[in-house]
Amino acid sequence: MLSSTSKGAERAKNKRGIRGWINPYHYNLERWAYMFQRVTGVAILLYLLGHLGDTSFFVGGPTGTGPSPSGWSFIGSIFENPFGHLILVLLVLVLFFHGMNGIRLILAEFGLILKKPGAIEYPYEAKSLGLGQKYLFWLGLTVAVIGAVWAFMIIFEGWL
Amino acid sequence: MRESRLMLVQYVTAVLAVFLVSIHLFMQGVLNTYDTAISFNNILSVYQNGLYATFLEALLVVTLVHGFDGVRVILHEWRQTAPWSRWVDIGTILAIVISVGYGTRTVILAVLG
Repeated sequence: MLSSTSKGAERAKNKRGIRGWINPYHYNLERWAYMFQRVTGVAILLYLLGHLGDTSFFVGGPTGTGPSPSGWSFIGSIFENPFGHLILVLLVLVLFFHGMNGIRLILAEFGLILKKPGAIEYPYEAKSLGLGQKYLFWLGLTVAVIGAVWAFMIIFEGWL
Repeated sequence: MRESRLMLVQYVTAVLAVFLVSIHLFMQGVLNTYDTAISFNNILSVYQNGLYATFLEALLVVTLVHGFDGVRVILHEWRQTAPWSRWVDIGTILAIVISVGYGTRTVILAVLG
């Protein structure tokens, strides 16, 4: 039986928490997909909150009372530059990946593309990534890159 | 609400978000040039179209519920004590109400123009 100290040490060893996401040691494809889904999800939510803030300047910001051309040009003067445009391109990249990988997760959740579980054997390939899930992951990544190129061409049109 | 029911909310909002965000990107990125899409007059006409304003409100609610519920899931996975779980749930509801309220205020003020 474990003593209380070694129990604590055992618990600490097993509890990897958020640091566990970004430790790529012994990651398989499914684990990478899990980590990317969460990181992109948090990034999109942060953008969304920023977007709530910037669009509010269309009506004059937090204290505004209605459509405000000056408020809108103020926010444009901050974000309408290559840095702001690059954020939009990166947003499309993570948005498309998150959406495509999310569809894969929903299909898997309802058992539509889930392979039967099997024994854990070397080289420890994720058994759950069967029935086209690997292809869906790579398709998601490909669509995301194509989407980002499309966004780059649209947003940077005047700069190219 | 049971956790399984909440996960169903997460999946339903995910599917709706894919649909609504695709329409938003199509309207802003394909039907318009970038400069037109962000011009003041174009945005005003978008807000003052009842159908599009309703669409933007739906987009706001769906994406924020999905986003904050996703963070709630991450925080529940991170720690599992009873007070933590309770505060995470309360914080999620508060965050959704405040952010949806702020976004809705923008939509209403723009619609009333």
